[in-house]
Amino acid sequence: MKDFHISGRCLVTSPPPDWGEQLTQLLGSKPRRIGTWAELGLYGALRCMADAGETTLPQDAIVMLTSRRGTYAATSAALEQMHNDLPMPLTFLQTQPGQMLALLAAQMNWRGNACFFAGARLQDLLRLAAAQAGDGGVLLGCVDEIDGGSTHWLRLRRGVTEKYDSVATLSDWISSPEGSPAGQNNTGERGAE
Amino acid sequence: MTPVYLSGRGLACALGLDVKESVAALPQNSAATAFCSLPGVQGGRFPYRAIAHAGRDWNERTRSLVQRVAVEAGAEQARGGALFIATSSFDIGAVEQGAAGMNYDAFAKKMASWLAWTGPAYVISTACTSGLNAVIAAHALLNAGDVEEALVLGVELDNRLSQGGFAALQLLSPSSSKPFAVQRDGLVLGEAVAALRLSTREPSRWKILGGATVVDGKQPTGAAASAVVAMYQRALMQSGLTAEAIDLIKVQAAGSPGNDAVEAQGLREAFQKVPPLVSLKAAIGHTMGASGVAEMALLTACLDQGAWPTYADPIDEALGVDLIAHRPDSVRHVMATILGFGGSHATVVLACA
Repeated sequence: MKDFHISGRCLVTSPPPDWGEQLTQLLGSKPRRIGTWAELGLYGALRCMADAGETTLPQDAIVMLTSRRGTYAATSAALEQMHNDLPMPLTFLQTQPGQMLALLAAQMNWRGNACFFAGARLQDLLRLAAAQAGDGGVLLGCVDEIDGGSTHWLRLRRGVTEKYDSVATLSDWISSPEGSPAGQNNTGERGAE
Repeated sequence: MTPVYLSGRGLACALGLDVKESVAALPQNSAATAFCSLPGVQGGRFPYRAIAHAGRDWNERTRSLVQRVAVEAGAEQARGGALFIATSSFDIGAVEQGAAGMNYDAFAKKMASWLAWTGPAYVISTACTSGLNAVIAAHALLNAGDVEEALVLGVELDNRLSQGGFAALQLLSPSSSKPFAVQRDGLVLGEAVAALRLSTREPSRWKILGGATVVDGKQPTGAAASAVVAMYQRALMQSGLTAEAIDLIKVQAAGSPGNDAVEAQGLREAFQKVPPLVSLKAAIGHTMGASGVAEMALLTACLDQGAWPTYADPIDEALGVDLIAHRPDSVRHVMATILGFGGSHATVVLACA
């Protein structure tokens, strides 16, 4: 934790009604059949990158993604489809959280180390990030579709000027009941909706 | 940088309920083949490499297998260290039985409680590369001196969703897995629970030098040759080795018509002279999120004990690669590779003393 400074962030709980249109603008086209969880993830990650003034990551950066329930909705849908038939191929692909990492990598035209950690604690991820990340730092996200949706992302770098108060932001994240900062928008204000 | 050793291994797969049984059964390729019947027009009856361990209750069967492989790997000596759980399907088999609720935290706590684990637990899910990504993450944590012990656990057990999903994507073979073969026609899925104990305080014959994982979003359902090349180059750089130093590569080679060809192309481009190759998929099936852990356990045991898989089907010469039919005489540096969904490509580099 002490190694990293926050150079960009997107902290959105209960995304605004037009978040889908915003995502279309960020992507340059309407996302097609990737599922709401992945869409929320892309929305937050791309806003975070924009906040950091970056369009892609350095080669030695890593992407770490976590979630409390992840692809819960897609998995429920696939299980429902399995009652009488095979799941729809795209629904099954949406059950795999790693698909979001591939979509994000493609959007950033980046290729590198990206990993999904189910239900991870921020302090454990930061500990691992300190061991794994090169000078390119970390893009760290926590995305959930449940409870109105949330997409929280931090761009963490070593040796850069701090844009936000890292200690306060990370402490807020760690101390929140669900392990992610609640009720904040991109600038840290409450009530994004 | 602290050396990281592979100090223990445990394995339950279609070949046997421990490493010894599995290695003994490998040369005969004698694992019994089960079948799964799936509904729908594209459903049907598909072969499946199941673990011969009775039990209808998913949780109880999994608990028994997890505890068994953990003991075999020497987990009691690692209990205060970091636990890495690799899976692509979590406990969806229990969800299908109404005995779990699709909750990551509950899944991690269940696994940790079965092992009486006291250290931090990470659950990694990157589809088929979950196991190798867990090894790479554990290696980084140990290498940095953050912990002295880690247990990497791969868990992939019977559930209809995984089988149905692969069938829906038309990836399953109706007969058998035929790695790099002319007649290859798809994957055969399998079950595995496997454990690797990684340690910086207990030297062993096997050292983990490093590894690399490369996510490439251009082909989200399979491998990309350029990403395979990038993966090998990064892993070699990270391990301080040259391509010529690699004596053996355990490849993905699951028998997929398209993916096997892409992997072969990547190997030819990454290595001026492709090292000897071995595949374990025909013997144990594609064990998805557990495959990296299970295949590392089986591979190192084969090299230690001189056992080797047999391949029944003629190799596709058009691929420009081959599988070695016997254990190489001298093996010092080995790579273990898994390629999977999500454009994920991972390889781990091992050194043998």
